[in-house]
Amino acid sequence: MRRSAVRRNLTAHAFFLPFLAVFAIGVVAPLVYAVNLSLYQERMIGGTSFVGLDNYAKALEDTLFHVGLGRVALFFAIQVPLMLGLALLAALVIDSGRLRAPGVFRIGIFVPYAVPGVVAALMWGYIYGDRFGLAGEVEDLFGVDLPDFLASGWMLASIGNIVTWSYVGYNMLIFYAALRAIPDELYEAAEMDGAGSIRKAWSIKLPALRPALLLATIFSVIGTFQLFNEPSVLQALAPAVITTNYTPNMYAFSLAFEGRQFNYSAAIAVMLGLVTVVVAYVVQLVTARRERML
Amino acid sequence: MRSSMKHALTTATAAALALALAACGGGSGGGKSDDGPKVDPAAVQGALDKPATITFWSWVPNIEKTVALFEKKYPNINVEVVNVGQSKDQYTKLTTAMKAGNGAPDVAQIEYFALPQFALTKSLVNLADYGVGSLKDKFAASAWSQVNVAGGIYGVPQDTGPMAMFYRKDILDKLGAAAPKTWEEFAALAKKVHEADPSSYVTYVDPGDPGTATSFMWDFGGKPFKVEGTTDVTVNLKDDAGAKAYADTMGPLIKDKLIDVTGSWNDEWWKSMAAGKYPIWITGAWAPAVLEKNIPQSKGQWSVAPMPGGASAENGGSSVAVTTQAKNKEASVAFAQWLNSDPEAVKSLNSEVGLFPATKVLLDDPGFRSAEVPFFPGSKPNEVFADMSKAVRPDWQYLPFQVYANSVFKDTVGQSLQGGGDLGQGLAAWQERIKTYGKEQGFTIK
Amino acid sequence: MSAETTEAQPSAAPVPGPRKRPVRPLSRKPRRRRGKSTALTVAMGLMLAYALVPLVWLTISATKSNQTLFDSPGLWFGDGFHLFENIHDVFTYDDGIYLRWFGNTLLYSVVGAGGAAMIATMGGYALAKYDFVGRKFLFALVLGAISIPATALAVPTYLLFSEMGIVNTPWAVLLPTLASPFGLYLMQVYAKDAVPDAMLEAARIDGAGELRIFFTISLRLLAPGFVTVLLFTLVATWNNYFLPLIVLNDPDLFPLTVGLHQWNSMAQGGSGAGAIPILPLVLTGSLLAIVPLVVAFLFLQRFWESGLSAGGVKQ
Repeated sequence: MRRSAVRRNLTAHAFFLPFLAVFAIGVVAPLVYAVNLSLYQERMIGGTSFVGLDNYAKALEDTLFHVGLGRVALFFAIQVPLMLGLALLAALVIDSGRLRAPGVFRIGIFVPYAVPGVVAALMWGYIYGDRFGLAGEVEDLFGVDLPDFLASGWMLASIGNIVTWSYVGYNMLIFYAALRAIPDELYEAAEMDGAGSIRKAWSIKLPALRPALLLATIFSVIGTFQLFNEPSVLQALAPAVITTNYTPNMYAFSLAFEGRQFNYSAAIAVMLGLVTVVVAYVVQLVTARRERML
Repeated sequence: MRSSMKHALTTATAAALALALAACGGGSGGGKSDDGPKVDPAAVQGALDKPATITFWSWVPNIEKTVALFEKKYPNINVEVVNVGQSKDQYTKLTTAMKAGNGAPDVAQIEYFALPQFALTKSLVNLADYGVGSLKDKFAASAWSQVNVAGGIYGVPQDTGPMAMFYRKDILDKLGAAAPKTWEEFAALAKKVHEADPSSYVTYVDPGDPGTATSFMWDFGGKPFKVEGTTDVTVNLKDDAGAKAYADTMGPLIKDKLIDVTGSWNDEWWKSMAAGKYPIWITGAWAPAVLEKNIPQSKGQWSVAPMPGGASAENGGSSVAVTTQAKNKEASVAFAQWLNSDPEAVKSLNSEVGLFPATKVLLDDPGFRSAEVPFFPGSKPNEVFADMSKAVRPDWQYLPFQVYANSVFKDTVGQSLQGGGDLGQGLAAWQERIKTYGKEQGFTIK
Repeated sequence: MSAETTEAQPSAAPVPGPRKRPVRPLSRKPRRRRGKSTALTVAMGLMLAYALVPLVWLTISATKSNQTLFDSPGLWFGDGFHLFENIHDVFTYDDGIYLRWFGNTLLYSVVGAGGAAMIATMGGYALAKYDFVGRKFLFALVLGAISIPATALAVPTYLLFSEMGIVNTPWAVLLPTLASPFGLYLMQVYAKDAVPDAMLEAARIDGAGELRIFFTISLRLLAPGFVTVLLFTLVATWNNYFLPLIVLNDPDLFPLTVGLHQWNSMAQGGSGAGAIPILPLVLTGSLLAIVPLVVAFLFLQRFWESGLSAGGVKQ
């Protein structure tokens, strides 16, 4: 019995080993490397020197970094609830069984998820054009005055739209799947108690959705804080609106590749990772006081 | 191994040389006697007889055609042309490859503005060591001065972009206007154009295009960036005469909404160009090929005139450089040299690839000057371009970290262009970012 | 170990899905027979239009020449129908580089996503079904890693890989994609319920080895979860842009996303001399890049829907 337990333990490790290996190379090693990089400073004149936590101290005072961080935080506060709300609504409607041809809606709304982010941004960029794009045509056709979607006041909303378009269907499916997992007996019991549809939604559907909501929110936190593809594609269309520090991730990229500040860029990346982890953790605390991911 | 020893020695002497030059305040062009080759030119030429493979990074469409001529002439050499991305994207890759210590090509296309940055970070071979200095007289002065960095020669000029004024003759004719000869006339025309058609502007500025902005400063006689030796940098965007003239000429027109502020080179912009929204386009002499390829329907509508004010500046243009990671430096240098100075090659670069030449071989050639260009029927645009090339003001310098400086242009000057044209403020902000960065990188900034 | 799972009969036919709640396939008829609502259908129709109009625009644009793109309305056809011509151009431009990109994307996706799903399945199974040393710590580590922005690690990844000498090789793209912390998480949750402990015990008593149990019994039960992870890693690798952009130099190794973006920057200038009119290629190429994924999703719908409902959202 003991021998077999040891063997089982070994087998478990063997099953887990491949993951551990790729995880170590693909995630842990670059992370350690980034932390190490962030402790040095390399200058065009004067070479490389160890600077300890100087780069982090600098990041704490760097308004360019903070502005980008504030922008994605704002994005998170507005776009994510909108997108998840929309997805939730769609999931509830499809689950209600009152739609004609629900399968068409389920797949149709999900399809944009299969469009690569870069392609989605390219496409919407053309559509937004107010002179010759689709937006411009709508203006000409209906004689209405649409806002300039690529101007600084609208840009964040325009990016939000691209992200929403891409992911609303994906989130909808996650919610829908959670709703489908509710056993019929629960509804039957509720109906026997004389519960109306609002009551059922509140006391049966919402609790069932909580883990899915948490999962979707966590993924949105991660996606939002590393926003990069959409703004960097739109930069070609509105160069002065999307600055080098428009999002923290763009800032890290620009520091490293345009400014050759690999060390400071690594510090920014690590800080960004920390912020993401903290926000994800807070979200987890708030959304799931009782349930836990583990 | 022997050649790498030799190289180590040559870079050491080159460094000593640069210091010596800096000590005596060596400006552009470098000394004469000190510029002598460290590698026997015969060895450079001889390298072409031995089998070798050269990787060449370039984003210029159709450059394979000229390279094919080279391979035909030197069958032992196999050149692999790789397009890793446009300008900025390529520099990103080159920077990371240099940082990593491997993965860089043997030969790379590098625009003049980016050359000092790569030269100073020891990414490029000093071609003077290989006797490329003897090519000096083959190139236009404005092109040659741009490959000179800190007393070395870090690229062979490939093409240039002396600025000229492209204008829609059909539109100006309708307005009863002629191509402006001075900047005052230009301002007057701006009013006329916009009054005649409120949706039309005399021209545009791109808040994300630092290259054109610096070219204007250059054209107005400015020298906002000065580099002495390898570490002393002066940045003067606030008070420099050229920078001021640029702000005073363009600023008010932007403020009065007589010049449009827009991103360029995108779909929207091409549509505007095709529709005649901007009757004037002030840009480099490489533009005809681009116009012809992208909006062929406007053939015959464009004409070319000298710059308002008569002087000119370079806009764009690139050189071909050999990286320090090159495996066969001699063959790489010989290739870069042939590609950009052999008469057969430069003709091909011009006629088959569509580049505007950097060599006098073509610029002074009566046949080139008087050539008919089908896109501009009945005119001789090359004549204007060649004259503009001569009118380029001398002694302009780029920063040793211009790639970075250009990347934050949109954050600073771009903001004030977008926000109504208070260019003084934008230029001051740009200067601030540049200075901070320069100091962080260990330069002595004034 | 929960009470429910021990109730399962070892001899009973394997029941896929969590034990607690048998999950109905998503595509089955809705459970309640309420009246269909036209108003709701119309409202959802708006949302459907929102999702599909940009794709309609892309499809229509793919039928236009460079010239017509500039002077015809976006949502209607222009002069002439150039779709087949454009497709032909996409496949032949620059010696058919698009097909190479397509092949690369296929390689990165199939090997990367397939490998990631397999590795995650084995790892998740180990976490769920064995109590081994360091289990809790490892799981916490992986969960923490889900929150690390992958793109923020791109620069260190590049430098590290260049020291390993694998920059500008397919490995530089494949290695990081093989690690899917989310896939592992999903599989751990899924495996907990999909593979009854009692069944494992029974197999062990019959004398089956752990490996044999995994490959002959467990893997079959894990199939829906596996397909779900496969599809999500497939989308992730198919859409991967940032990492290949940085770790690859040679266009012959590019995946479609990076290649298409390069075409786009060629079409849109970026630097004057490079501007060439290949906008139709960008649009048609984009359209062609989307089709395989959509088809894959449609065909595997049955699997991933049950995987999703059972694994990703389990309470």
